[in-house]
Amino acid sequence: MVCLYLTNPVNLQFSQLGCHNQLVGTHYFWHSEDMEFSTLLNSYPGSYIVQSFSHSVITAFIVEIAIKAWGIRNPAVRQRFLLVIILFPIFSFPVYQIINPHRSSIYFRLNALLDSSRWLDMELWGVVPIRYGFLLMFFLTAVIFFFQELVPILRHTYESRGSEISGERAEEHPMMAQVLEDLPVEKADIFVLEDDDMVLFSTTGRKGSIYLSSGLLGILDREQVRAAVAHEFAHVMRSRRPFLVVMFLLRIVMFYNPVVLLEFRRIVQEDEKICDDFAVSLTRNPLALADALRKLYITDEEEKPGKPINIVNEMEDLELYSHRLNILSRITRLGKGYANTGDKGWFAIVLTLVVVLVMNYFIV
Amino acid sequence: MRGKILGFFAFSVGIGILVLGLKFLNWLPLMVQIDSMREYKDVEEVKGALQIKTIFIPSYFPQNLNWPPSKILAQGKPFLAVIMEFEKMTGKDTMLLISQSTSEDFFPEEKIKIIKVKESISYPVKGRDALLRVGLCQRNEPCSGISWKEGEYTIHVLIKSAPFELIKIAESMLR
Repeated sequence: MVCLYLTNPVNLQFSQLGCHNQLVGTHYFWHSEDMEFSTLLNSYPGSYIVQSFSHSVITAFIVEIAIKAWGIRNPAVRQRFLLVIILFPIFSFPVYQIINPHRSSIYFRLNALLDSSRWLDMELWGVVPIRYGFLLMFFLTAVIFFFQELVPILRHTYESRGSEISGERAEEHPMMAQVLEDLPVEKADIFVLEDDDMVLFSTTGRKGSIYLSSGLLGILDREQVRAAVAHEFAHVMRSRRPFLVVMFLLRIVMFYNPVVLLEFRRIVQEDEKICDDFAVSLTRNPLALADALRKLYITDEEEKPGKPINIVNEMEDLELYSHRLNILSRITRLGKGYANTGDKGWFAIVLTLVVVLVMNYFIV
Repeated sequence: MRGKILGFFAFSVGIGILVLGLKFLNWLPLMVQIDSMREYKDVEEVKGALQIKTIFIPSYFPQNLNWPPSKILAQGKPFLAVIMEFEKMTGKDTMLLISQSTSEDFFPEEKIKIIKVKESISYPVKGRDALLRVGLCQRNEPCSGISWKEGEYTIHVLIKSAPFELIKIAESMLR
């Protein structure tokens, strides 16, 4: 006796046809490769990929509308909104399918707000199905995620294991005593590295550490160093390592999703703004931090002669340009002195979540 | 508070625009792609639009069912599929569902779903090796279904009644 579960290419649901000795066949033959690919996209994993992508696009739109409508500028609140875009599509499809197993059926699709299969089955000039374009987009996103996020993180984790950075303790450094005045020095060990390059970073752990180079101390003035160190203090004090690890693991599930790729980067940028605000709350000098950022990251980059034009260099240039834009946006923000209202935005978040949940139910 | 109310208003407007945009995006492929899954008025329209030569229609039809089909859905791509629903004379309940498709996996059974299969046997329908299933649908209604391959098509016939009428209908679909 065999219990067969056939996946239905259009209605997607798993139909139990019963337990019996023979059925329409345990092996399927396909009329064309195209039909096979269409069936693959309409299987449960295929539907998960397609619908999680659709849900993340719609959620991104809803979140953006909410941020604009309520004029949310507080980066911590914005980050909460952006988290919805990352987390929601991970669970949306399976949860909706549990709520209504017929949700992907033809009848549901005919009355849906947006039926993604209509787009996937559409053919450009009657020849190339658009689904191949989607497949290419998912593949490229997966490649970018692998090389730009996963590999660097794994490499960094591997390289930093057991390695020790030695430097002079900041308390013993003549310039640093005044810099550290009023900063929460008990929260992190601060070291000055003998290096002519501009180096500034922090590590988190049981007790965090902040490292800055002598080159940096030579270029930034006292207030700017103080602002920069305060920013690193914020990173150390905000250290939410288990939370971030869980977040990243969840983010890996969406490795193919270009919307999640972009929004995850926005979350990281918002984190920088949160640390900027924290630094300003300690130093009361936003302009010093803005100047420090300008000196650290905004250099007059000239086109390197002889640099070959290829996709890798173009990607690098694009990445640099995007980084530069982010820094400029932080500098502008610090210059304008956006005040964080006390509003945590819970009303807006709850309402947005409700709309996200209801609307995406009708996106199949 | 005023800011929240204004924000709520702006949010509602934004969501309204988004819904309209999505409705447009959902409608656009139907305009561009003629063979997407959609509803048709009658069988002849399906034949003309999708260039289908044969649509299997029963010549025997139980008296308690309405003719013509209450709903006809069909698509040409990625595979050919036609669904016909028939309601009973009195009421709006779908009593009979016939589907034919070039995909073996296509099985639109939402309207008549055999939840509890009591018996599943191989049954010959005019020389074709068919699978007959008898069981219960929702609200413990007796229902039955029969499936077989007919050339390039896989045909499913589902009815909310005992299998006697079902077999008659299935046999009347074949020469």
